[in-house]
This record gives sequence, structure tokens and C-alpha cells, in this order.
Amino acid sequence: MRSLSERGAAGYRAFLFLLAGFAAAMSVAGPASAGDWREVPLPPGFQVIVNELEGPVFADAEGRTLYEWPQHVLRNGYSGEAPGIPGCYGEPTTVTAGLMSPYPAGIPLPERDRRPACTALWPPVLASEQAEPVGDWSVLERRDGSRQWAYQEQPLYTSVRDRRPGDVLGGTRRRYRRDDPAYRVPVGPPPALPPGFAVKATSVGRMLTTASNDALYAFAEDTADSTACRGDCLQRWAPATAPALAAAQGDWSLLERSPGVRQWVFRGKPLYTHRLDRHSWSRQGSDVPGWSNVFLQPAPAVPASFTVQSTLAGNVLADSAGRTIYVYQCADDSQDQLACDHSDDTQVYRLAICGAGDPQRCLAHWPYVRAAAGEESPNRTWTIVAIDPLSGRFAAEDDPGALRVWAYRDRPVYTFERDKQPGDVHGGGIGEWRGMRNGLRAFWLRDDYMQGIL
Amino acid sequence: MRAVVALGAALCLVAARAAAEAPPGNTIGYVFTDLFWSVYQTDGAEECPQGFNDGPREQFAARFPAPEKLSVEETRLAMEAATWHPSGAPHDFAFHEIESTYAYGLDLDGESGPNDFRHPDGSPGIDNEIYRAVGCIIGFRGPDGVEYIFQSKAIKDEAYNRMMINLTGVDSLENDDSITVTVYRGRDELLTDATGEAIMPGGTQRVDRRWGESLIRHTRGRIEDGVLITEPIDGLVIPWQNLQVPSVQRIRGARFELRLGQDGAEGLLAGYADVDTFYYQLIRNDSTHHLANGQISAISLYKALRRLADAYPDPETGEHTAISTALDVRMTRVHIVDEADDGRDDPGGSAFPVSGR
Repeated sequence: MRSLSERGAAGYRAFLFLLAGFAAAMSVAGPASAGDWREVPLPPGFQVIVNELEGPVFADAEGRTLYEWPQHVLRNGYSGEAPGIPGCYGEPTTVTAGLMSPYPAGIPLPERDRRPACTALWPPVLASEQAEPVGDWSVLERRDGSRQWAYQEQPLYTSVRDRRPGDVLGGTRRRYRRDDPAYRVPVGPPPALPPGFAVKATSVGRMLTTASNDALYAFAEDTADSTACRGDCLQRWAPATAPALAAAQGDWSLLERSPGVRQWVFRGKPLYTHRLDRHSWSRQGSDVPGWSNVFLQPAPAVPASFTVQSTLAGNVLADSAGRTIYVYQCADDSQDQLACDHSDDTQVYRLAICGAGDPQRCLAHWPYVRAAAGEESPNRTWTIVAIDPLSGRFAAEDDPGALRVWAYRDRPVYTFERDKQPGDVHGGGIGEWRGMRNGLRAFWLRDDYMQGIL
Repeated sequence: MRAVVALGAALCLVAARAAAEAPPGNTIGYVFTDLFWSVYQTDGAEECPQGFNDGPREQFAARFPAPEKLSVEETRLAMEAATWHPSGAPHDFAFHEIESTYAYGLDLDGESGPNDFRHPDGSPGIDNEIYRAVGCIIGFRGPDGVEYIFQSKAIKDEAYNRMMINLTGVDSLENDDSITVTVYRGRDELLTDATGEAIMPGGTQRVDRRWGESLIRHTRGRIEDGVLITEPIDGLVIPWQNLQVPSVQRIRGARFELRLGQDGAEGLLAGYADVDTFYYQLIRNDSTHHLANGQISAISLYKALRRLADAYPDPETGEHTAISTALDVRMTRVHIVDEADDGRDDPGGSAFPVSGR
């Protein structure tokens, strides 16, 4: 059996290939540009900013990203805001809501004397007395009589986690499910797509799909005016056909495959679905030489020292030695559903899962991914932060004992001590609700079985 | 009536002849359609005279009668910490083990001792300590237990779990003293009838060489009176994803005992399950919510598993790391296509380079 470092080196080589594979896909994907989204009316003082991970988002005049908090049905209750009804206010909640089955409601929440109110973390986007509705933008009245902007009737907020204009650290558009918390989600203009298409945020980029979530693919030998996929090729690949009256616009054009049969073309590549794909948002078709998924926008580059490892379920992101990378996710059991996954949040939840409350056990079981001397943050998504390893809080770089560690979206990432060789993913799902509400999730780059990239 | 009897006899004869004949190419494949920890249970649950075990909900209520006077750290997080950092030390809740003479399973160690069960058919020496641990937990009992329900569904629905065996060198499905058995993972959906529920024989499964290469195992076996008996496989890894977390079970000394048919196979997979792998597979997929629905106290179960573990002692501590078990298996006949064998391109492709396992 090869050593971890040997396997890690192999993983790194695979990673280089992966990047090469992405490069092929890049003929279709690219950084977001003004043509990627549909122009919508904006009230004065608001703008659209393109984030490297989330794509175009609405922001206020200072560049602060706007978020909504949609109502979300959890197993035994719901949280979030119904359209038109603000639910985030300035009084701290003090007891559990009972959404964390099987545990009951009414238990005092941690660090009650320091617990922030909802609006301390999510300041409402207030509207002036003169503000008028514009397009999908409207103005709601809060309990105290103040006025709050809403988009498509969802009240709007900024996040205290966003520090620089263009940050989108308060939430993500990645999919969440019934067992996830009621997340805050960045709001932005709709993508500029013909009817019948959709965009899905994934760990590897903003993936283009059909409206029914089938992955779309492009073939390297095709051009905007010709296709090399004919005959037997069509047994595996189904052209994304366009109606007779469809018109070219922006990145989208049309190819007439045969008289009366028109195919959608995106950024110069005809689009197909893969008949053997087993599930939505699949990447299985990209295994076939020459074929690649289509992304509106690739995810920002991962740290150069990281690797990609093959597992029983797909590919995971791993550190330089091939150890799987994990991200900690957490929201508390309050009606506010305040996040607890950030180093500025309470650490009691994380410490309970990673070390039964003992920081040293946490460091042994779930070590931070240390940044090597000389490594630098490649972008705003992957950054190097200083952490006090005992408290889990941010530290100054020159603080005694502070660790320089990698962070994804401003949250430190970890490896798991029970992963003994590259490709092991024994830590995924550890924690409450399969790691979704207080636990750890593997950083999947591709999975063929559980849609973990979403 | 006589005509019916005559027809039945004729069908039996046809079936017997079919079984005695070699399958085409001396090869036959089967895909798993059911796989669950074998639990011998009577209608009156006589094997659990103390009743069923409490789960997290009941233990929380007993331990914290007034949680509103405590805190999240002192209650919920304390229980979660004990779940995710388990201990084999005794605790203050009673745990009901199986109190039965009988269990399904195989005689794994060739010995018949005081801790062994007797098979309902009378065979002595049955080793199945997982049954002793989980048999009085509602979640593990069919047909309503949460583990039973989710696993029965996932084994059919989730391609991650698509395990299969291929028998080669088969001269007869009735008697053959030497065949080769290969374990693979498939990568395709199961063939069903029009309802989508009943699994039909005759489907095709491609061997998963994209992600599942490390799961392939080979062993030898023999067929006696229509029953396949294999030699042990040390280190069988079974993909096991019943609630969306891809994980595995590791079975040491794994062996199959299966009644073979033209359309399917049925029987047992027995061996020694790695204790920690068993435990973490369970709690990573279920979390406390689903455990609570099955009245499965992970904290109590871990202690039982540690107490009852009976094989593969740790060379340093002497503590057993594995526990005897048996799983009920049902399989349906499939045509197994291993595209790596015939030089064709794997439709899954090898163009995407991989590393690791």
C-alpha cells in the first residue's frame, strides 16, 4: 500500500488533469459578464455586483450583498419568512424552537448573555419614507413602523459577515434541503437564459441545466455552425432542441441540425443531454472523451497545494497529503436559525461534535488544514486566516499559538483523523442531521450518488 | 386434481433439469435486491422478554426531566457528544439483549460454545452477536423498523449500493464442487416491472470500474444441492448508503450461503463486522432524529457492540474489534457486463483520471 504522501502526489497529478478537464469546459464557461443575467429595474442606490462564486447579486450602494430568508419547512416545524412578512427583529431569542428533533423546545440557548439578536447579524435593508416600489422591488412595513425593502416580496437584509464590497459570506445559493437549516440566500437578477434552461450553483461552478435539472454537455469537436455528433453518437447524446420561433440572443444561438430540427448553442457549443445520466445535475457524461459539462461560471480556483481524490462515490477535494477536506455547517435551534458555523459565532456546537467539548480532542480528531509558509490566498473564496486553536476564534497572525489555516468562504476547513488514506471519507455526515445542521460535510467536487456538489 | 398434480410434478422436473444444466457460458450473475441484518423474531417478541429498548427520545426525557432549567450544552449537546464520541463504559440505562436460543446465521468459528445460538433448523454453533445487540431494538426489526425500512428501500433505489456476484465455471446450479465467485458493484438501475416496484430478472448491470474498483473481491465456492457455499473473503467492503451519506460496512471472513435459482438467489451473508465501521455507518446516516424514530440509542448500542464483540482482537489492547453477524440477502439474476474484459471503451470512460483507491 502506498503511503499517504505518495497517494497524495498521485492525487495532485489527477488534480492537474482535472484542471485540464476544466480548461476544456472553459471553452463554454467563463467569468460572469453583463450578458449573463437579465436586466431588471433597480431602485435608486442599488446595484448588481458579480461575485466569483455566486455570480451576479444585488447589493446596496456600499456594495453590501442583499439576502433573503425564505420560509423553509423543517421536519417538525418551519422557519424563515413568509413573503411580505419580516420576521427578523432586535430581540434576542433565548430558548430553542424545537426544530432539532428529537430534542424539545424551550431549552435555554448557549451563551444567552452574549447571544446576538437576529438584526445584529442581519441588518434589514431599510427604505426611506420616499422610497417607491420598482419592478419586483417593494417596500414592507416592519413592526416598529420602519420600512424595509423586499424583492419578490421577500424582505431584504445585509450580512455582518460581509466585510468588503462584493463579499457573499452570509449565505450561498447552493441547494439546501428539508434537513438543512432555514438559510439566508443571496438575491440577484435572474440569469439570461432561454425558456427551458436553468442554472444551479455547485461546488465547481454555476452549472447550466435544462429546466428539469438534466445536466447539459458540450462536445469538443462541435462548433457553433456544425456538429460532429451524428448517427450512433445520438444514441447516447440528445440534442437540446429549440422551438421553431426561438431566436438567438447574447451567448445563445441556434444550429439547424437537419431541416426543421434546431439545436440550442451556448457560447459557440451545441448543447446536449446525456441519455445515461442517472440523476439531476449529473457529471457522468463528462467521463466520455471530448465531452464536458457546461458552466456559466466556474468556481474560483482552489489552493494550489490541494489535490483531488477518487472515492467510492466520486471525487473529493483533499489537502496536499490527500486527506479529504471537510466544511463545518451549523445553525442553531432558534426560530431565528442563526448560523453557528463561523469563527465569530459561538463555538459550543462545533466543540461538542468535534471533541465532546474538549478543544484538544477537536484538534486531534478534526485538525485545521494548515497553510504552508509562503502560501497565499488565491481569491476571496479560499483564504488563509489566523485561528486561535483552542477557542476556534479568529486571531491576529502574530498572536502566540495562532495557526494559519485555510478557510472556505471565511470558514476554516478541516481534515478527519479517521481518514487514513486518500479517498477515505469517513467524516462526511458526522454531526447532527447528517452534518447539515451541526456537523461536517465532505467537500465534494463530483459525486455520482447523492448530489453532494449542490 | 390429478391433472394439477401431474402439471406440478412436470414443472418440478423441468426446474430440476434446468438447475442441473450449466448456465450459458458457465456463468451466472446476481444483483443484491435485499440486504439487512438478520433478526430472528417471533410474533410475540418472545426473544425480548424484557421488552424493547428505549431510544434517544426516551433517554433524554428520563435524564433531563426539566430541560428548561438547564441549557443546550447540558442537555442536547451532551447527548450528541456522547453519541459522536462513544464509550464502551457501562452507563445508567438498562439495555435489553436478545434472550433467545435461536438465531439465523452461520457457524463462523467451527465451534459450538455457550454463547452460540442454534439455528431454527436445529443447527448448533450459530455466531451472531450483532443480533444479540440489535434484536430488541425496534428500528432493526421488520417490517416496520426504521432501519429495516430505509435499508430495504435504499438497496433498490441507490446505485451506490448496487452490489452483485458473478459465478463463473459453473457446470450445474445443483452441484458443482468448484466455482469462482466475484463480487462487484454495478452501476445501473435495476430492471423492474411496469409498477417500478418489483425487481425483474434478466436486466443488465455494467461493472463499476469508475468508482468501485476497490470493491472487487474474488473467492472460491461450491454448490451443494442447489446451495452456494463460498470460502471466506477477508475484508469484504459493502457500500451502504441508506440515508444519503455514502459509507460502508466492512465484513471480515465474509462468506455467502445462498440457494441458487435461475431467476434469483437467497440466503445469508455472514462474517465479522468491524465494530466502529458498523457504528459510524449507522449514526452518520441516521443522525439522532432517525435513531429516535427507531428507538435506537446509539450511546447504549455502542456499549453493547463493544461488550459483545467476539473476534479480531486488537494486537495492543486485546479488545475485540469485530462482531459476528449475518445478513439476509436476496438477489435477482442479471447479466453482468464487465467492459474492462473485452477491450471496449468503458462507457463511464477512463478519460477522467483518478487516483487513490
